[in-house]
Amino acid sequence: MNVPAVSGDDMPFKIIQPALEHGLAARVGRLATANRTPLDTPTFVGVTSRGAIPHLTPDVVSKHTDIRAAYMALEDFIEKSSKRKSPAIFSLPKDGCRPLHAYTATPFTSCTILAPRRTPAVVAQNGNGPKHISVLTSTGFERVTCESFCAAVAQIMPDIVVPPADITFSSHTPSAKRQVFMVQRTQEWLDEFFSHLDPEETLKPSGIHVFAPLLPVGEYLKHLSEDHAVQLSGLTIYDVKILHDLKNHPQLLDLPRLSMESPESPHQILRQVRLGVDIFASPLVNNISDAGIALNFSFAAPKAGSNGIQPLGIDMSSEEHQVSVKPFMEGCGCYACTKHHRAYLQHLMNAREMLGWTLLQIHNHHVMSEFFRQIRMAIADGTFEQKASEFTKCYESELPLGTGVRPRARGYHFKPEAGQPKINKAPWNRLEGEGTPDQVAAAEAAGLAVTGPAAGGSETPLVPEADAAALAKEGFAKIDGA
Amino acid sequence: MAATIASQSSAALTFGLVARCSTTRARASCLTLPHGPVQLPMFMPVATQASLKGLTPEQLEETGCRLCLNNTYHLGLKPGQEVLAAIGGAHKLQGWQHNILTDSGGFQMVSLLKLASITEEGVRFLSPHDATPMLLTPEHSISLQNTIGSDIMMQLDDVLVTTSPDAARMRGGHAAKLLQGDDRQRSPGIAIGGLSGGEAKADYCRVVATCTELLPELKPRYVMGIGYPEDLVVSVALGADMFDCVWPTRTARFGNAVTRKIVAVYAAEGETEGLGITRAFVHHNTAKETVSAHLLTLHNVWYQLNLMGEVRDAIIADRYPAFIRQFFANLYPNKADYPEWAVGALRGVGVDLFEDRT
Repeated sequence: MNVPAVSGDDMPFKIIQPALEHGLAARVGRLATANRTPLDTPTFVGVTSRGAIPHLTPDVVSKHTDIRAAYMALEDFIEKSSKRKSPAIFSLPKDGCRPLHAYTATPFTSCTILAPRRTPAVVAQNGNGPKHISVLTSTGFERVTCESFCAAVAQIMPDIVVPPADITFSSHTPSAKRQVFMVQRTQEWLDEFFSHLDPEETLKPSGIHVFAPLLPVGEYLKHLSEDHAVQLSGLTIYDVKILHDLKNHPQLLDLPRLSMESPESPHQILRQVRLGVDIFASPLVNNISDAGIALNFSFAAPKAGSNGIQPLGIDMSSEEHQVSVKPFMEGCGCYACTKHHRAYLQHLMNAREMLGWTLLQIHNHHVMSEFFRQIRMAIADGTFEQKASEFTKCYESELPLGTGVRPRARGYHFKPEAGQPKINKAPWNRLEGEGTPDQVAAAEAAGLAVTGPAAGGSETPLVPEADAAALAKEGFAKIDGA
Repeated sequence: MAATIASQSSAALTFGLVARCSTTRARASCLTLPHGPVQLPMFMPVATQASLKGLTPEQLEETGCRLCLNNTYHLGLKPGQEVLAAIGGAHKLQGWQHNILTDSGGFQMVSLLKLASITEEGVRFLSPHDATPMLLTPEHSISLQNTIGSDIMMQLDDVLVTTSPDAARMRGGHAAKLLQGDDRQRSPGIAIGGLSGGEAKADYCRVVATCTELLPELKPRYVMGIGYPEDLVVSVALGADMFDCVWPTRTARFGNAVTRKIVAVYAAEGETEGLGITRAFVHHNTAKETVSAHLLTLHNVWYQLNLMGEVRDAIIADRYPAFIRQFFANLYPNKADYPEWAVGALRGVGVDLFEDRT
């Protein structure tokens, strides 16, 4: 599939293997933005938190993953602080490098996608207004107007931008009245977006591509295809049901489709691919790693047969892996599987060492990259439907739930609610008994523990969780007199 | 590479003296261990639970680290001796091709557990969970370290107050507080332990200086628990070779980067890693995303190893006194701020920090 990168015209997306049915079937394409490694689709992009793929430093991303595009949220960069007038990301010089790339240390070959909100986005209590959307920064909810969003885009220069839309992110279907508002506001905002950022004068020269948000409301599509089709480089989909309506708008059919409707399993990914989704920006892989699960599936060669239905992943916190020197997944070529084994990962999960999540992220992103690569090959050689149905028969429908301790949740991950139990377990408690020094003091004395921000989770616990018999068994000491 | 001046070998360790500072007691040497040679003086990062706080073993290797610590106590708890034995030791557990040093485990045990008594036989204590009386002996410690498969082991010891009947002399603060493995005939290396426990810096320097004066020259000298850059630079001048400390990696998780001039809060020297990471981005995610902790850990480990590399080069070129003066000049723009303990300790080995010569 040798397709020249961006040709003379400005369309960054080329369809290589068109869908069989009009607008409603799996297709293969290539998205090439200036200077970046082209993205072969269908594919998934890395989902960042505050500009970083969770647990992966930029060198690890470049060296040990195939992540070549990253989804970022403006709300992750714009918290207020008494120490500075404007966020640091806005004061970076544009000397030959895009500020968003430079600030987040995203590799030069990777493409950035900037949207107003994280995925999943925390629902804002007060909702959006006629002139603003509500976003959640690490210091609280803020209002972002279309104008301020455009100013940020022009300053930090993502490769791809998703303009603001009036979406609540709540699980309820909006009322009919609300839907009218949504359409009106989003249309207005999109018009305003292009008036602030002129496609010919600003966007094209800066190499910024627009993926317009598709509301899950039919009439909005008409406005989009009639007024804006030529200004768009792609579509952002929040509810894949809208794809059924898309076939009535041929002007929009050849645009790449970025899905924000997060699949919960590889089966749901296949379903969306079948509906014509090209790019996934889903927190699925990050969530699986946080749960302590190592993915264990393959699209091209599912391990079917006598063993019955296979699980999609393995709970790496389970004691059954304690002495297993096997790779996380048999035959996997990722860094984690070639250099480490299950026993180490089990130990890291059990000891709550942060490296555990790093290795899982490397492995899980690798498995997902392979999954999509095999999907593209199958679409290209016409075996997609057959393989997808084999895959469905071969694997369990849901991923296993992890039993291990998750990484510490932060304020920007969830909305605190009254009466809610504590999200994070307290890292330290008093030792049993009155008058005993507390554990922090004891551990400080032992030169091991800390107080302050780092006490929030990742320090090495000192008190053994085991009783005397277990200590004796591990060769620590013997029971006195025994 | 300078030629070895003199060397001494034991079964698993060869110590080769490469250069001596003509003014101070600093030396540059090479230690050959089962998993390859290492260059002294050196700093050893602490991978307490067989993992260096979020860094992959490959990232640790890329900082130049060839000898890191694992804690016997923690590996004994998790994954435990049985698992370590089944896997074939700590190198195989963590995928680390280079050397590992383990402590005796006594330090954590003694620090925390409810002590009953310390006798010739071992440490009697109560199990924290069920208060069962237990006995920790030197044999337990060595057996665990054998299962871990360490390249350098520490023997279980006790402070001199207990092992020496001459308690009165100890209280005079004159002799070494503790010499771990002080069997000068057989032990291939000497550890000076029990320091870094809150004693005055001047006292610390006096103990190290006294020990290095008495110790045989052709054995490595390891001062346990030392890691502040100025402590390292001074201790090397006093004749110590090896150091470990959790401080650089722990302070990283607080959001601190160790730098040449000051310990800067919320900052990383991006240029050192060649990753093009700005201080602003590290600050942005400090205490928010683990990635910032990883980046700072990576930076701080690199900084410590690089500092010791520079120290070694200066010793070999016989310009260590000038190096020390420049180091303190960078750290304290105003000479009046030089710490007294460092001025005094360095004067004792022939270096005047106030001298203008560099």
